[in-house]
Amino acid sequence: MDVNKIMTDLEKRNPGEVEYLQAVHEVLASIEAVYNQNPQFEKSGIIERLVEPDRILTFKISWMDDQGNVQVNRGYRIQFNNALGPYKGGLRFHPSVNLSILKFLGFEQIFKNSLTTLPMGGGKGGSDFQPKGKSNAEIMRFCQAYMLELWKIIGPETDVPAGDIGVGAREIGFLYGMYKKLTHECTGVLTGKGLAWGGSLVRPEATGFGAVYFAQEMMATRNESLKGKKVAVSGFGNVAWGAVRKLNQLGAKVLTLSGPDGYIVDEEGISGNKVDFMLELRASNEDIVEPYARKFKSGVFVSNKRPWEVPCDIAMPCATQNELGEADAQQLIKNKCSCVCEGANMPGTPEAVDTIQRNGLLFAPGKAANAGGVAVSGLEMTQNAMKLHWIAEEVDSKLHQIMGAIHESCVRYGKQPDGYVDYVKGANIAGFLKVANAMLDQGVI
Amino acid sequence: MNFHDGIIRLEKNNPGEKEFLQAVREVLESIEQVYSQYPQFDAVSLIERLTEPDRVIIFKVPWQDDTGKVHVNRGFHVEFNAALGPYKGGLRFHPDVNLSILKFLAFEQTFKNALTGLSMGGGEGGSDFEPKGKSNNEVLRFCQSFMDELYRHIGPETDIPGSDMGVGSREIGYLFGHYKRLVNRFEGVFTGKGTTWGGSWIRKEATGYGLAYIVRKYLEEHDDSIKGKKVLISGAGNVALYAAEKVLQMGGKVVTLSDTNGCIYDPNGIDFTVVKEIKEMNRGRIKEYLNKYPKTTFSENRSDVWKIKGDIALPCATENELDLGAARDLLKNGCQLIAEGANMPTTPEATEFLLQQKAGFIPGKAANAGGVAVSGLEMTQNSMKLMWSREEIDVRLHRIMVDIHDTCVKYGKNDDGYVNYVKGANVAAFLKVAQAMIDQGIM
Repeated sequence: MDVNKIMTDLEKRNPGEVEYLQAVHEVLASIEAVYNQNPQFEKSGIIERLVEPDRILTFKISWMDDQGNVQVNRGYRIQFNNALGPYKGGLRFHPSVNLSILKFLGFEQIFKNSLTTLPMGGGKGGSDFQPKGKSNAEIMRFCQAYMLELWKIIGPETDVPAGDIGVGAREIGFLYGMYKKLTHECTGVLTGKGLAWGGSLVRPEATGFGAVYFAQEMMATRNESLKGKKVAVSGFGNVAWGAVRKLNQLGAKVLTLSGPDGYIVDEEGISGNKVDFMLELRASNEDIVEPYARKFKSGVFVSNKRPWEVPCDIAMPCATQNELGEADAQQLIKNKCSCVCEGANMPGTPEAVDTIQRNGLLFAPGKAANAGGVAVSGLEMTQNAMKLHWIAEEVDSKLHQIMGAIHESCVRYGKQPDGYVDYVKGANIAGFLKVANAMLDQGVI
Repeated sequence: MNFHDGIIRLEKNNPGEKEFLQAVREVLESIEQVYSQYPQFDAVSLIERLTEPDRVIIFKVPWQDDTGKVHVNRGFHVEFNAALGPYKGGLRFHPDVNLSILKFLAFEQTFKNALTGLSMGGGEGGSDFEPKGKSNNEVLRFCQSFMDELYRHIGPETDIPGSDMGVGSREIGYLFGHYKRLVNRFEGVFTGKGTTWGGSWIRKEATGYGLAYIVRKYLEEHDDSIKGKKVLISGAGNVALYAAEKVLQMGGKVVTLSDTNGCIYDPNGIDFTVVKEIKEMNRGRIKEYLNKYPKTTFSENRSDVWKIKGDIALPCATENELDLGAARDLLKNGCQLIAEGANMPTTPEATEFLLQQKAGFIPGKAANAGGVAVSGLEMTQNSMKLMWSREEIDVRLHRIMVDIHDTCVKYGKNDDGYVNYVKGANVAAFLKVAQAMIDQGIM
């Protein structure tokens, strides 16, 4: 494989698609060596076929606003690769949505889904629709108009979308209702559904739970457990909430939470009703964590800073991208932190990740550590297909198994000659090889 | 419609798509006046809906070359507007193919198809595949892989592709054959098929014949006839040859033809049987005409056609072949009508000049619609599972061209009596599509 030549061709064919080109470049760089070991990949054009989506549908969405004006948006669905299973990936409604961003997300999703061990291909979709400021009725009419086109190309055995930015339980509900009306079938065509109508238990907690399981596996490679470990968590949303709950269950002590306004440090540990308070913080819609310090005496609010200065054994960034920079990484190392596990998508800057790995800390990239979310989406598909619900413990135990399997793949493909496990490399290679071999098996498609 | 806002919105939503933006801008300019006369159009955001394709499918086309190596091309299918009927437009296989070009073609097709009076919406598709230099088997495998995806989106009541650059009867055959294998139905999902397997008579001649018919109608309207008229024709492909044949049958005199090597001028009238032999039997160059008629004038500059004195000019070769200088020469020499057989053979400057001078000018959108009209008739014949005779089709084609002419006059006649066929064609087609969209609700 000649990475430079592939990238030049790709730039010519996909002019201006910055996000997408960058994502491809990163994956190619980390799989180059293993790709070249199998000459069959090159002869069968695996890379050329992997970087071209199976199909892209863009479509017109005409809908009527509350004033009776007709509005027009553009809808997208990218069905990137289905070597391992039906296309699977979220829908994003946001004005910034364009083809490049969706192709980037769809491409990444192929590998993340591959890692979960479940039969899911990669896809992504959405629209340049701005949900902010729209009435409930407008959101519904838009979702219905969107589904009026999408229903033709999705299906429980074909393509199973889910939520993403701008698409939550409400939108999934409107979309699902319209799909049923159009097809006259109740099938698991979307995930992230409400519990009463086909959703799965543990879906809200899944990403956080999974990330903690992954941290547990990593610590076990060094004969350590989570018991009694001090953990710095950032964020206070779904992912952080799930992580904090699981950390407490497994005997760790959670010291921090954070929001856009700063962070909370609670030396007595964030547990019990303090965890439930996280839900109240979120429900207030104010996007701040300061009220925690007013409610609980043990909590101290530190304004406009990130929690990585608090001495801890494990750091779990669960808030947002690029929230853990080079200086933060240095601080963690100085404080003898031994493990960084990403609950959010790309919270560590590339420099920070490099520093963390060079100093021999355990480091789990989001691609592997936060795959619990999509894994439970996969389990939602399973439950829909067999027309039965699992109890929470059943879903949780399957999630635990899956995170263990992901960890094992990362170790298998990421173990360096000196014994250090490069989880980033391991995740990329494991995700890629599974897809590539499945493509070889299935011929030129 | 706030014209300016509309264009800005389009540019933002379709960055870099210069061909598409240009085509939209031209149509919007010529319909602006009539659009603002009907407030109900703006109330339902008609322009926004008309300029956004119903759907676009972009797909991977992997195929194996003769050495076993796998190649990947990109396939496109633009389904632009189905207000009047199933999506209908060509497939183009050419390395230059991209989204902007196909959206431009599909947008134009929406209006051209509307003018024919038949039930056809607008679409266009294709791939960046280069057919040149490929073996027959490679073209076959590519067409099959292309159809592996396309079959899902097309159908005789949904979307009926036809041919365009790089897609001739061979490719249509391969595509149609694979479609049948996938769906197990023999149905009219393509036009341009062979006459033994669902094709129509007169398909090859349709554009040229149609052009001659609209010219005759134009002259009749001016109490004139084609008899004895000196006709300048450029090109030597299907459009030029069959326009020439029909003009001759009607008693006109064709004095020029051209191909990429140059043009011939025979003041006594070109001998059509000789030309047909050179071009259709021997696939030779137009220059070979001199072997038979040595006194004919030959020029290596193909645009010299427009320097000849003639009554009627029919550019039937390629786009932008008739520029401002040529337009001036034609009018100076007393040419009374220019009708486009090719797609956009006249440059925008030349078009503007001709309209300013109030010259007789019929744009390709109207004048060469005979081709797609007979494609429409091929669909009709497939649907009723019966083939019409040549005569039957010719009669229908003639009627369609006369109707197109009258429609252009209806919507393009100025107060001073001059008929602006460009405006007439755009306004007529737009109104038809727009009204159908309003009738059918929000879609």
